[in-house]
Amino acid sequence: MTETIVKNEYDVLEQQKQAVEDIISVRLITDENAVFSRTDGGFVSLTFTGEDGKTVEYNRVAVHRCFPHSDPNHYISIREPDGDGREIGLIEDLSSLSDETVNMLEEQLSLRYFTPKIIRLKNIREEYGYSYWDVVTDKGACRFTVRMGSGNVYSIGKNRYLINDLDGNRFEIPDLYEMTPREIKQLDLFI
Amino acid sequence: MVDTLKKVIPESVLDALNKRGVETNSINAAVCADMTNDGELKNIYLILTDARLVFALSNSEDDMVFSGASPLRSVSSESIGEFYEYKLDRLTNPKIIDQVVGGLFVVDIDGVETWLCRFSGAKLREMRRFCKALECSITGEKPPDENEDDAVYCPKCGHPYPEKGRTVCPKCMVKRAIFFRILSFFKSYRLRIVFLFLCMMISGVLTSVSPYLTGSVLFDKVLTRDQALPEKLGIPGNFTLMLLLLVLSIAAVQLIQQFVGVIQGRLAAHLVPGVVAKIKGNVFASLQRLSIGFFTRRQTGSLMQRVNSDANEVMGFFIDGLPYLIYNIFTFAFSGIIMFTLDWRLALASFFLLPPLFYVSYRLLPRLWHAHGRRSRTVRTLYALLNDGIGGARVVKAFGQEDHENRRFSKVNDRVRDAEIQVVKYGNRFDIAYSLAREIPSLLVWSLGALLILRSSGTFKLGELITFINFLHMMQGPMHFFSSIFRWWTNSMNAAQRVFEIIDANPEIAEKENALHTDIKGGITLNNISFGYEPNKTILKNISFSVKAGEILGIVGKSGAGKSTLVNLISRLYDVDEGEIMIDGANVKDYSFTTLRGAVAMVSQETYIFIGTIAENIGYACPDASRKEIVRAAQAASAHPFICRLPDGYDTIIGAGGRELSGGERQRISIARAILADPQILVLDEATASVDTETERAIQASLEKLVRGRTTISIAHRLSTLRNADHLIVLDDGKLVESGTHAELVEKRGEYYKLLELQSKALAMRSIED
Ligand SMILES: Nc1ncnc2c1ncn2[C@@H]1O[C@H](COP(=O)(O)OP(=O)(O)OP(=O)(O)O)[C@@H](O)[C@H]1O
Ligand SMILES: [Mg+2]
Repeated sequence: MTETIVKNEYDVLEQQKQAVEDIISVRLITDENAVFSRTDGGFVSLTFTGEDGKTVEYNRVAVHRCFPHSDPNHYISIREPDGDGREIGLIEDLSSLSDETVNMLEEQLSLRYFTPKIIRLKNIREEYGYSYWDVVTDKGACRFTVRMGSGNVYSIGKNRYLINDLDGNRFEIPDLYEMTPREIKQLDLFI
Repeated sequence: MVDTLKKVIPESVLDALNKRGVETNSINAAVCADMTNDGELKNIYLILTDARLVFALSNSEDDMVFSGASPLRSVSSESIGEFYEYKLDRLTNPKIIDQVVGGLFVVDIDGVETWLCRFSGAKLREMRRFCKALECSITGEKPPDENEDDAVYCPKCGHPYPEKGRTVCPKCMVKRAIFFRILSFFKSYRLRIVFLFLCMMISGVLTSVSPYLTGSVLFDKVLTRDQALPEKLGIPGNFTLMLLLLVLSIAAVQLIQQFVGVIQGRLAAHLVPGVVAKIKGNVFASLQRLSIGFFTRRQTGSLMQRVNSDANEVMGFFIDGLPYLIYNIFTFAFSGIIMFTLDWRLALASFFLLPPLFYVSYRLLPRLWHAHGRRSRTVRTLYALLNDGIGGARVVKAFGQEDHENRRFSKVNDRVRDAEIQVVKYGNRFDIAYSLAREIPSLLVWSLGALLILRSSGTFKLGELITFINFLHMMQGPMHFFSSIFRWWTNSMNAAQRVFEIIDANPEIAEKENALHTDIKGGITLNNISFGYEPNKTILKNISFSVKAGEILGIVGKSGAGKSTLVNLISRLYDVDEGEIMIDGANVKDYSFTTLRGAVAMVSQETYIFIGTIAENIGYACPDASRKEIVRAAQAASAHPFICRLPDGYDTIIGAGGRELSGGERQRISIARAILADPQILVLDEATASVDTETERAIQASLEKLVRGRTTISIAHRLSTLRNADHLIVLDDGKLVESGTHAELVEKRGEYYKLLELQSKALAMRSIED
């Protein structure tokens, strides 16, 4: 054992340093060092030139928001697609990129954060620990069920609310005070 | 197949598919996804035939129905709009990519990774199954048996279960109305209640007699020297004696009333606290029965509220309301009868406002209910916050965030106040309505009565009017009572609903009927298990391994890899989503809880210390352990030395409010607890992470002695802890990436080797520096 250690001492230290670097450093993605493009399969690919000048190609990247509610257009994390995906780089401000790229990334984001907005609340019924919602969203009318009393309806900003249903689906109320008094009254139960 | 197919695809769509050349009996698998590519909520049917993968977009305009919602009553006939298909031989490598909500169904088409369809979280399970079926048909594997046909509808009422895989119907839980269920808590006090009832009846009757005595009898019989009554009593003409008799009987009525009141008070005093305690006990017992998932989903503070204040509030109505309700109803009814027999006109004037009053009350009731619910919710938040602020006091102080906490608290506190004001406001409306209903009739009776005396010349007497006034006066009490009873009722029923929600909650993890009670030897096998805490996030993926009885298994992996989750599954704190966990060849689900929990002892990562002495804490799992055994266990866990140094030794009170222990000391108490439990399977989750290396060595040495003959699963970041493991597995991101003995894994030069090198390197460096 000891021999191996001594033999690889330098290697291991290097490796360790590299791993630590990887974890703690932040790489920013800009139009200069990255080229995004649409794939035929509906994803986005990336050619990224790191600080060391090496260019890496990714066939598909995952696009995550760091602050999906409070700041959706800043701090967009571009990650390797599989498993717990290493971060390739961070986009500080989405609008600093070219329109074409922004469109592409937004498409990916809308796939990831599917959240219909509730535009009309037909009815909410509460019964024994569950509430049954009947709503019209911007994506169509639907009915869903929410478990009561465990923070499944919560505020994500001024007058903005997010609702988690039993399936793990999410619905958004963009502005509470845009709703009719009757609807607000029904939401009283949760707010 | 056709039967299960019809559950997925409506017949009209099958017909439409037939027309497009998709024969029903050529369908091997089908699923209904719920989104178009733009995210519109629409049914889209995915059909797998022998040679093709077909997509058919429904043209139905119906609402989308997610889990728990009742299916649509009238479903409009559905056909298909868009339709496209792929030949199977172009497709490879199908998979599901999880998204924050729902997922993507991805296939390589001619080698290009392409997403074909989106779906919401509701379809995740079915889509995974479908994806598996597609994969099998591409690779030619045999598809897995579709044995799990989740019951989605409650067999009793036909409503869908709100949660998949949790066959509890909230509707059918409410077997009887809430009120009668609470009454059932009174059952064992039946005799007392009969007495109470009797007392009420007597008081009610007596109360309604006295206005008559002080009114009609006094004025019209005695003061007007009516001959009929004294003659009947055998004292003709003696009106002074008559008066005396009257006074005596009034006094007697009062006396009896007081006496009955005292008895009544006593009876009630014994009854109510008993029932409250019973309800609390019941709620607490139900809580204990529930699975761990129930607790992680809820705030501790809010659960505390349910056990404590809700039970009290339930009783509010039964203390203040119910007993006097009976009394007041009796008073009311008797008075009514007497009044109507005396004079129907005045009686009518007294009572005519009651029906509209009750109607108004009835209409106000839902709002009051609402206000109460709201108050209770805000109070619950307050409790949760309190729990947070007090439980986390250390962090709050350390970061100097007292002001922040104060602000957070006062925000919620204000909300509670507002909700409280709402309740009072609605309560006041009742009060106003009821005072009106009291005052207006009074005025009416006064004037109408006076008019009658003036006009009727003798047939209507002054005494009668005074009787009526007396009655009205007497009815103020009951009226006031009725104005409050609605409030009490709503409050009580509202709280009761919350209480029953817990009493009725079914544990997600339930013991099987006739579960096995046997001795467990400790062989563990995991077959292809998958698990996630939430429906759309799998934490553990297809893990299989086995440990022979008596072996030591070491689990290593990065933080968050799922190690703790894996051991939680073995002691069945959660149930696996797929695959099975076998102990001694039988599924863990087949064992009774006593067998399983008796055989598995866990030292978990988060040590928990109960309020009590050290001895009690160590003996938690075996309350009848002798002192000697406790000391032995503590010694084995290297806890003995530090315990002996404490002034109160093993009798030191620890836990909330008691003496603070260091992290490592707490761990050693937990280890001692597990050692004393003498389990066949010992799970050590980072059990020695907070103790120094020397103490760890000592614990290891004693564990070594101890673990002989029992299965041990040990999780550690410090690989030296796992030196004597027979077998090691390496988890990474929920997948088992390596397994084997220490030597094999070193040989392999994989993940484990890397970890080992890094650690021994670090150690070596340190010793050089020293
Ligand atoms: N009750 C829970 N609900 C939802 N997710 C959870 C829950 N408990 C754990 N997780 C998640 O499951 C994953 C695995 O957690 P687990 O506790 O098994 O990790 P671990 O391997 O024991 O890590 P560590 O070494 O840090 O203890 C983590 O990503 C964690 O965030
Ligand atoms: Mg852990």
